[in-house]
Amino acid sequence: MLEERDNDEMVLKESPRAYGMDADDIDLWLLQESLAKTPWERMQANDDALNFAESLRAAMKERHAKLK
Amino acid sequence: MQNLSELARRLISSQVEFVLVGGYAAVAHGVTLVTRDVDICCRFSEENLMRIQKAFADLHPTPRSRPDLPLELTPELCSRLKNLYLKTDLGVVDCLGEVLGVGNFEEVFKHSVEVQLPCGPCRILDMDALIRAKEAMNRNHDKMTVIFLKKIKEQQK
Repeated sequence: MLEERDNDEMVLKESPRAYGMDADDIDLWLLQESLAKTPWERMQANDDALNFAESLRAAMKERHAKLK
Repeated sequence: MQNLSELARRLISSQVEFVLVGGYAAVAHGVTLVTRDVDICCRFSEENLMRIQKAFADLHPTPRSRPDLPLELTPELCSRLKNLYLKTDLGVVDCLGEVLGVGNFEEVFKHSVEVQLPCGPCRILDMDALIRAKEAMNRNHDKMTVIFLKKIKEQQK
């Protein structure tokens, strides 16, 4: 459920469980999505996530260097 | 740019005798945690280690402990190695002679399943053995992986 804050920003007010997190804080929706893939597709998804994380790290590093 | 799936593909196409273990095996089973390296358990014979060296030859493989030195396996060195930790242009590959909680390569092989990848068949440590291995390691991310693996087992019942 979205709720409006005083500054017009819409924020998610639902508990994590409401959008698919279980008692162990596992996102069951993401897990189902992963299980629907083949092992090879899962391995490639890991590569994509890893490279995306690396590119974010590099961008943050560059930003910090510029701010110095 | 990291490309762990390409590292796995090269191991398969070079006919390296190995079982995928660790975080990348967990990913193959469906765990959604991201892993940064490829862990394999392999036979530490000279022939097999030379296949690994050949598989990564154009990726500037170096021992992780001495990244300034290229990987240059010799028969004498092969006979002494228990583990081989490699850094390549496409990512890190840890080659293990045994897996804590499971055993040596023969035991690991017995507790593995074969999956068909586009590049060929690949053996992956089975879910129960992977849970045992992760429980034996017991680091924070291993504990999280165990929670995921047990959840997947539940989902697959």
